[in-house]
Amino acid sequence: MTSPLSTNAADLVAVSVAGNIVHPGFPGLPAEPYRLASDGTAFLLPTYGGIVYNVSVGDRAFGWAADCIHPGISIRQAEDTRNRGLNVYACVGNRAKVMTGAAAGTVGVVTGKSGRFSEQVIVHFPKESRGRMAVGDQIVIRSEGVGLALPDHPAVMLKSIGPNLLEALPRRAQDGRIDFGVVATVPAHLVGAGLGLGSEGGSLHLQSTDRAELARHGLDAVRLGDIVALADTDSRFNHGYLRGARAIGVVCATDGPRAGFGPGIAILMTAPAGELGSFDAPGTNIADLLALEA
Amino acid sequence: MTESLRWNVGDLVEMAVTGQVSQPTMRPNGYLHWPDGRAAILPGMSGITYTARVGDRAFGWAGDHVEPGVSIAHTDEKSDFALHYLTCIGNEAVVTSGLARGAKGIVTGEHARLLVDFAPEVLEDMTIGDTVQIRARGRGIGLVDFPELEFKKTSPDLARAYNLRLENGQVICPVAMELPARIMGSGGELNSEYVDQDLMSGDRALMADLGIDQMRLGDLIAIRDVDHRFGRSYRAGWVAICLCIHGDSIMTGHGPGILTLITGPADKLGFAVEPGANIAQTLNIRSAS
Repeated sequence: MTSPLSTNAADLVAVSVAGNIVHPGFPGLPAEPYRLASDGTAFLLPTYGGIVYNVSVGDRAFGWAADCIHPGISIRQAEDTRNRGLNVYACVGNRAKVMTGAAAGTVGVVTGKSGRFSEQVIVHFPKESRGRMAVGDQIVIRSEGVGLALPDHPAVMLKSIGPNLLEALPRRAQDGRIDFGVVATVPAHLVGAGLGLGSEGGSLHLQSTDRAELARHGLDAVRLGDIVALADTDSRFNHGYLRGARAIGVVCATDGPRAGFGPGIAILMTAPAGELGSFDAPGTNIADLLALEA
Repeated sequence: MTESLRWNVGDLVEMAVTGQVSQPTMRPNGYLHWPDGRAAILPGMSGITYTARVGDRAFGWAGDHVEPGVSIAHTDEKSDFALHYLTCIGNEAVVTSGLARGAKGIVTGEHARLLVDFAPEVLEDMTIGDTVQIRARGRGIGLVDFPELEFKKTSPDLARAYNLRLENGQVICPVAMELPARIMGSGGELNSEYVDQDLMSGDRALMADLGIDQMRLGDLIAIRDVDHRFGRSYRAGWVAICLCIHGDSIMTGHGPGILTLITGPADKLGFAVEPGANIAQTLNIRSAS
């Protein structure tokens, strides 16, 4: 299934970016702690940030009592321009290492990013190690992947993807086009929050308000870490609608009750005019592809 | 206002909110990008826009997110949110400082700033920082017999200007055009009480095929299979009636700004594409020109 792939990986520069484990946050008084579900009901549930002990890449993306939870560890930089550097440079598949605290030395893997209003990088560490971590611990990432390209497929733009993950993805190249294996395909009308925002960092969310529509497209059973395609989506510069374009990404955050905020997807690649395709490859998940340690 | 449709207008509270005429701002690296990455620097947001007015075309300007008329904001964040959440389309505005003091205008949109239309000669007497006061009225408006329909940013004047009619138990709103749900983009991350959601105009051939490129600032717009009550998302069997408030954009995922006005289940809310469904005409903003 997997064909040889020519890349410029040998030309990539690996650079350190670091962040600290984030503390969950809520707006101050007199704001209510509640958020609004798509039907207008108020809810109070755990949301992004922090050390998540019991949700990992490979687990289900739907059904948690949570709002867009990041599996594992979420990190960021306190200052915006530095955080932007972290959010853009970190690529899915990059190696992360805990540098401070009781879990110092533990090695993990970048598994996703989140966008506007949170802007964190999501890192997988073995569950056992999470119990030794503290909010504020510094994690350094050997960032590698910005600038990655496919010389034989110049119209395909790669985003936030480490060369190790690219190499591990199931794929077929034929007639000048390259196709990657995906678990499901999101139709354009179910692409949600993140449209119009930058595509070098952040995430693009599936819409999950209409459950029947989700099920109809086989999207109601996706798991964290699943590779999915987004039809008619051009993510070269910002995310937006374009017939014939395609984006492929990894599910990196859980579903949530808010309108427009179903599971978050970190976009890994895109092409505008049919140069990038996808094929059904049930079970394609980065927990296996990157051999994440439970 | 159709006699058979009963509004709760008598219960609405009217309050003053103010903002100041904004200065356009640019980031240190002012470039925007076309879908293919080509960079451009274009005017559009904030300030006094002399050449684009509600009723004019939404596409084709050498600009990005062009805000027609005068864009006002409040420097204090909480006061600014009150300006956003209380002001309704069609509310009356008055200049309360500067050379144009006493001149009256009409609110025509809400973007990151409130957009107010004034006659062209008034603009000549306005400057950055002038205060504009709005008589905010419309928050909480509704049809007594249709609690399923949610109205947003609808002043009593706009409620009248919709020219709603009742057909077989369904409220019908005249609109200038319909947009498919799949091209609704930037703004999906926001609550639907705040500003707009851009239609995604990056598929230029589709814009021409569907006639979307004929859209005008101030057009009423319908979208099927979206629920705009608490955020904006796909839900089969729902409808949103919206307003085109700002011009097109070159950026992927962006385009003319579409602000939510009415949303409800399709068995209670329908629409009909009819010429003239533009607030420049129906609110008599440009009847003189």
